[in-house]
Amino acid sequence: MSELLEVSSLTKHFKIGNTLSRRTLHAVDDVSFSIGEREIVALAGESGSGKSTIARLLARIYEPTAGTITFDGQDVARMRSRRDQLRYASAVPMVFQDPFASINPVFRVSHGILRSLKLHRTDLSAEDRRAEAARIFEVVGLKPDMLERFPYELSGGQRQRVGFAQALAMKPRLILADEPVSMLDVSIRIGLLNLMAKLRDEEGVSILYITHDIASARYVADRLIVMYAGQIAEAGPIENVLSTPKHPYTQLLLSAVPDPKAPLQEVTDRGEPPKVVDPAPGCRFRWRCPIAIDTCSQVTPVAAELLPGHEVACHVAQTGADVKAFVS
Amino acid sequence: MPEEILTVEHLSVDYVLDRGNVRAVDDVSFGLNHGEFLAIVGESGCGKSTLLFAVAQLLASPAETAAGTVTFKGRNLVGLTDKELAAVRWRDMSVVMQSAMNALNPVKSIGAQFKDALQAHGTRSKEEIRTRSAEVLRMVGIDPLHLESYPHQLSGGMRQRSMIAMALLFTPDLIIMDEPTSALDVVAQRSLMLQIKELQQGLGFAVIFVTHDMSLVSHFSDRLMVMYAGQIDELGATRPIFYKPTHPYTKGLLEAFPSIRGPRKPLQGIAGSPPDLGKLPSGCRFHPRCPAAVDRCAEEVPGLFPVDDLLVRCLRVADGSLASE
Repeated sequence: MSELLEVSSLTKHFKIGNTLSRRTLHAVDDVSFSIGEREIVALAGESGSGKSTIARLLARIYEPTAGTITFDGQDVARMRSRRDQLRYASAVPMVFQDPFASINPVFRVSHGILRSLKLHRTDLSAEDRRAEAARIFEVVGLKPDMLERFPYELSGGQRQRVGFAQALAMKPRLILADEPVSMLDVSIRIGLLNLMAKLRDEEGVSILYITHDIASARYVADRLIVMYAGQIAEAGPIENVLSTPKHPYTQLLLSAVPDPKAPLQEVTDRGEPPKVVDPAPGCRFRWRCPIAIDTCSQVTPVAAELLPGHEVACHVAQTGADVKAFVS
Repeated sequence: MPEEILTVEHLSVDYVLDRGNVRAVDDVSFGLNHGEFLAIVGESGCGKSTLLFAVAQLLASPAETAAGTVTFKGRNLVGLTDKELAAVRWRDMSVVMQSAMNALNPVKSIGAQFKDALQAHGTRSKEEIRTRSAEVLRMVGIDPLHLESYPHQLSGGMRQRSMIAMALLFTPDLIIMDEPTSALDVVAQRSLMLQIKELQQGLGFAVIFVTHDMSLVSHFSDRLMVMYAGQIDELGATRPIFYKPTHPYTKGLLEAFPSIRGPRKPLQGIAGSPPDLGKLPSGCRFHPRCPAAVDRCAEEVPGLFPVDDLLVRCLRVADGSLASE
């Protein structure tokens, strides 16, 4: 199967500190995954696990320290000409977390959409652009007359739909959606999730859905990638990962999802993800892991396929042991 | 029977605007016992934050208390001057704001901000300030070293925790929390909720907790208040409401979000959005969005009916034609 996007050994380090104490923050370390056509892949993890850095690397806001991104068979780093860069930017747009800060407040909401249509779809006349903008608004579930509104006249959910409309205007292949619903009320999130599923099913767009909310990921995504401290902990078809989570961290994440119908779990974990500054080898979850063994503090675990399509980076799970670190 | 520490009666809050007054909180009454945990849930714009601000008497123009009383420890707070309120705030009642990012002063260390609050209420001795600050920080599970830290040096969870530590400085009887966990991820969220519950059981303060995510408080609150368009829609003990939601709006809120367990099923959420408080629908305020609405709902204004141990604002629940699930 040919993949739309392939990421291989992607790494991003940031230099921090001054000249006397130069240190390196490992935001993303040796991450490999792929996204297929018409596929929603959820990237989940705690704040600071490197999810957003991956989105920014894919959007070419950051240059990777190492590793390659291949889009549609082409190495993204080799796209140097303005034409290639524009084409990539229009094929892989981004939708941001905060719908209140990501739309220019002094222009009508049509402004952003018409501008990207003008820049990326030069074959359309001014009249066609208007018609196309109205069509896109209907696709994302807004009335075409809302094009003339200002952002402050719209609710948070409507603004986020405008965000998706702006992305959709460029006829994208892959939308990078960075926590698109986390700022919205619980009661309107579902509408946006349904919209994402509709874009995949009807417009044939793939989506990288970045979230810390596993339940919403399960609702729309086909595959799940769980990140911890800049590395992939576990990845696979979402139902498999959720029904048989193999990595202790995935189990912790699942146990933390509030469930009103189930009794409250006794969980003692109060840890926070580490800041990965000049890390020594070893598993980065070992300080919070109740089942860590000696190997975990010496060797960095590498993801291995334990079940078809289901990869886990955990020494204990790779011995074939049945991991039950946190009950969910 | 424990006595009530806070009694809110017929409280209404208006936003005084050029186009006329908009009533954001409409005739809300409830009581809160010593050491009780009350959760207030509802969508954005349903008046839950305005209600909190009215209880804490923090309303700023154009909002003002139009009617009703807020009796806290036997004293009506409505109409007190700022100076009189200042004595109550922090000492007897403290507020934890929604976003710790904005509520903490970015150019002052955590310790300096604690010191400000302590000094404003008469703690002068340096030694006392230092030990108390370290003590409350330890209570929320943060190393007192961080008294020297500035807000940007702390993670989101730690910032939110230090806000709670600050609220604990005087061991108040009531802590009001406005969505303290909404900016956190699930793991940090749960650890903060456990922390709050632990402190509450240890120190015995009462909590009013506002959130739009019902599932979050399902295991932590004693009573639950569901608000819609400025009014109470349902009020009762938390667990029974989760097992057997009665009001159609409560049902909608509970079913608005997917679960990680059970079969994967398509959801629709609650259609539409909360009404503009300046242009309320006739009859029941929820009827345009209600899947169970009948003709009567558009005409008759429902009161808050006692049904079993609950208070429910629904005509069909009151006359028995709509059973709870």
